[in-house]
Amino acid sequence: MIADEATLARLAGLAQRGDKQAYAALLGAARSWLLRFYRRRVLPAQIEDLVQDTLLSVHRKLASYDPLRPFTPWLAAIARYRFVDHLRQVYRAEEQSLDHDLPVDSEEEAIAARVSLERLFAALPEAQSRAIELVKIEGRSIAEASQSTGQSESLVKVNIHRGLKRLAAMIERA
Amino acid sequence: MGHDPDNFIAGLVEGLEPVRPMRQREGVGLTLLAMLVGIAGMVLGFGMRADLAALRPDAMFLLSSGLFLVLALASAWAALDMARPFVGGHREGWGWTALMAAVLPLAALVEWAADWMGGSPAIPDGDGWHCMAYGLGWGLVTALALVLWLRRGAPSRPQSAGMLAGVAAGSAGIFAVTLYCPHNDLLHIGFWHGLSVVLAGIAGRLIIPSLVRW
Repeated sequence: MIADEATLARLAGLAQRGDKQAYAALLGAARSWLLRFYRRRVLPAQIEDLVQDTLLSVHRKLASYDPLRPFTPWLAAIARYRFVDHLRQVYRAEEQSLDHDLPVDSEEEAIAARVSLERLFAALPEAQSRAIELVKIEGRSIAEASQSTGQSESLVKVNIHRGLKRLAAMIERA
Repeated sequence: MGHDPDNFIAGLVEGLEPVRPMRQREGVGLTLLAMLVGIAGMVLGFGMRADLAALRPDAMFLLSSGLFLVLALASAWAALDMARPFVGGHREGWGWTALMAAVLPLAALVEWAADWMGGSPAIPDGDGWHCMAYGLGWGLVTALALVLWLRRGAPSRPQSAGMLAGVAAGSAGIFAVTLYCPHNDLLHIGFWHGLSVVLAGIAGRLIIPSLVRW
């Protein structure tokens, strides 16, 4: 994100008081942050939808932000919640590649790493993480995921179910 | 969805209304008020136990009601805080309080097991379900306050928030009941009063998430 934590917290506080200019700046910064936050775990064609869905949640739940706390961990909790919700929706996407190579600004590396989706996925057992990645993110069928992982089809389904449950429970974990 | 990003943001900005940030102390105030309504309803409707009315409360009453009150406050605090999501937030403190309160049913179980091995197992009194039902009933007032607060906020773990709200409501309800219930025996308190909190926690975990999901 371009602005630092103190600026974002100030902008969010002003937005809560109805300052539209501050709110526009806040949403712009939040959008940039969300685009990078989701890019490794969401297909490019779906990122914009998910970002807008998250911004809508930010708009509806603005009162739940505590101006005495940093802004990014609040935004990250909302983004993770929307992401898990997004994974729960069954869809099969067109084959598209995920962007794994975009650079991360050094000034925000620490906080990004702390709240990233990678960190959330790293806490999942490999089998659950792989099943979710193949079926829910890359849009492959259960049969294809079964073939690719060597897990039975029912085990792939169980691993997706358990993995999503575990992700939902870890949304606020740093 | 999928609108032009600039137009989308402009639309949100256009629709901005001032909002009052959710303060934990407001949630606490609302919850305490709900607890007081429960206590007042129980005491005014059913009366107060004799030793408490005479200002000479039994030690077992003080211990058990104190534990339930602290559990109600600790779990309500955690549930209220969950309305304001935050990656890195730690809300595990209530668990220690729950463990502390769990001493009551565990001690009752030990007492029952010791009696059972001695050949004369005591059984929890059959009327105890009244306490449980009143506890769950008056706990609903606290549950309502917590659900309203959570709906206003953005709990990112609705199931945990629901379970915590249930435990808080059950503990608050059974605390109100202890002011009336004349029993001082461990088996009654550990079984019936403890069961009330457990059932409220399960009900909260099952019912509340659908009410607070966003």
